[in-house]
Amino acid sequence: MVMQKQQDVQLTQTSSAADPNADPAAKLLLGKTAPSFTLVDLNGKKVSLADYKGHAVVLNFWATYCGPCKLEMPWFQDLQNKYKGQGLVVLGLDEDDGMAVKEVATASKRVGVTYPILMPDDAVAKNYQLSDYIPETFYVDKSGKIVEQTIGAHSKDELEADVQKAIASGGL
Amino acid sequence: MNAALISVCVAVLGLSAGAQEIRLGDAPVAHRAHVELLSNAAEVKAGEPQTVVLRFRVEDGFHINSHTPKDELLIPTAIRFNTGSVVKIVDEVYPKGSAFRLPVGAGETVDVYQGEFRVNVQVVVPKGASTLVGVLKYQACDNAVCYPPKSLPVVMTVTGD
Repeated sequence: MVMQKQQDVQLTQTSSAADPNADPAAKLLLGKTAPSFTLVDLNGKKVSLADYKGHAVVLNFWATYCGPCKLEMPWFQDLQNKYKGQGLVVLGLDEDDGMAVKEVATASKRVGVTYPILMPDDAVAKNYQLSDYIPETFYVDKSGKIVEQTIGAHSKDELEADVQKAIASGGL
Repeated sequence: MNAALISVCVAVLGLSAGAQEIRLGDAPVAHRAHVELLSNAAEVKAGEPQTVVLRFRVEDGFHINSHTPKDELLIPTAIRFNTGSVVKIVDEVYPKGSAFRLPVGAGETVDVYQGEFRVNVQVVVPKGASTLVGVLKYQACDNAVCYPPKSLPVVMTVTGD
């Protein structure tokens, strides 16, 4: 087989790697009331953030194609189990574009989570000022205030510290 | 170098970037591509199977899934060529990926492309200049975050001698 003569071209300039912590969108909602929403879970049941008033809530935005997300999710499941008695609720919000509910359900089952997985709409992404990368997680205290906002995968210890912060804050 | 073709490529890429824009709050924020096409032209023997090498480069600090990621939930890198072209696609050979260990938890390993990678495309072209047109589908991540699946236009002039 004869190899062709090749001509190459550089079409774009090199740019540096992303630094999620340097993103101007990072932590914009810290200290603010978590935007309300009503979404459907994988069973078609409506779920509102208001349903969990008085609970510490973790809102974890993820997608089936995201490896770091799927590392974190079993840890969120463990934390849900560990802190359930203290009122912790974990909600996973799927950010796949156009993926069927059945496929999302299969993926979340494979990851090993049983906490509610919700199918967000564009309004939720806008209200939470999501960046175009995931995972992104919001820790909401019992009064509904966002006490921590993280981008990217973190260690289980870091997740637990943020969960404890949400549980300890906003008590009535 | 075919200056006209480069202009076309740049225009195509520019249009694509515009189409991929999302809204973050009230301000439009352009998606970053993370992958670029380094090859834009080739000369091969006309009328018989020839290998054209498509060179791509993944932005430093990022990786994309290989053509055969080990997890079925991950999105494989693949080129979708336009049908109906005078350029006949005979075969596509993707490179093997390399192991990339995620820097969290127990360090799960994924199969990825980093830096430059090459896809060998076996084609049959007529005499004269033809255009190989397609789209590279890929999904990029860095050490901690992942970006939505994206498409990179692939346009290459293949001249049959």
